[in-house]
Amino acid sequence: MKFLKSAAAQVIGLFVADWVQTAVIVAIVAAAWYAISGLHLTPLPVLVALVLLLAAQHVWFALAEARREAGSRPLPSPSPR
Amino acid sequence: MDVGTQLFTFGAAFLGSAVESVEALTIVLAVGLTRGWRAPLYGTVAALVSLAVLVVVFGQLIVQRVPESSLKLIIGTLLLLFGLRWLHKAVLRSAGVVAMHDEEHAYRQTVSQLQGAVAQRDWVGFVIAFKGVFLEGIEVVFIVVAVGGTSRYFPEAVAGGLLAMLVVAAIGVVVRKPLARVPENTLKYAVGIILTSLGTFWAAEGMGASWPGDFVSIFFLVAAFLGASQLAVQLVRRRPVLA
Repeated sequence: MKFLKSAAAQVIGLFVADWVQTAVIVAIVAAAWYAISGLHLTPLPVLVALVLLLAAQHVWFALAEARREAGSRPLPSPSPR
Repeated sequence: MDVGTQLFTFGAAFLGSAVESVEALTIVLAVGLTRGWRAPLYGTVAALVSLAVLVVVFGQLIVQRVPESSLKLIIGTLLLLFGLRWLHKAVLRSAGVVAMHDEEHAYRQTVSQLQGAVAQRDWVGFVIAFKGVFLEGIEVVFIVVAVGGTSRYFPEAVAGGLLAMLVVAAIGVVVRKPLARVPENTLKYAVGIILTSLGTFWAAEGMGASWPGDFVSIFFLVAAFLGASQLAVQLVRRRPVLA
């Protein structure tokens, strides 16, 4: 049972590290899909926007995690005089 | 489809499998050198057989049952999520926010867990080797099934995964210690970029869009994601120490 649980966690962990980031990525892909298939927009500008948005969220979430990590580290102890 | 896609498929499966095989090898070596080789080798073989069954079952299911456009959209999106997760971690490691994966440390940790008397039938050795190889191998199964199934170059993906596994196993047999010098983060970074690019390419094709220049546009995607991740590394390094 423990092994199955860790296998299931491993499978979910393949795609999800941060649920908010996962939701943002899926929303970007869904919006591009709707623009092309639903609204029948010219694909090329949509593809360019898709790549730029995916790249931008990558940079944004890397910075956000770096800030979180910095915030969670213990403050350095004051140096002895 | 063409040689370019074939090479990307083979390369992604090879590099992804190489990284995970190095991590699995560390666990098997730790068990084998501490408790003897029979149980961990049985555990490794059992895990590899289970993984092969997963590749065959899911590979057949995906190639034969799922319509091409849905397959590209769904698997492309999953590849994108998977690739971005690896890339995200590689960026944070490159920027010094997260510690690099250390095979020597992983090895010592597994050895310390295994200290103690060895029974005649070493179930602990078997289970630890099985679990290590199976769990590390799940990522390889996903990469092989996803890139092989979506590109329709399944044999190339399987060949890439198997070749990497054999190369790492052969090196492990020769050196008999954890492969600490393998640049795991660089490999994960490269695989992250390749999988993110392939995922974006296939997801867009699944939406019904055609990329200008067909597979050649994958190179532009690679350049775009490499540029973005390098920008992320630079920005993270420049951030103030205390937020």
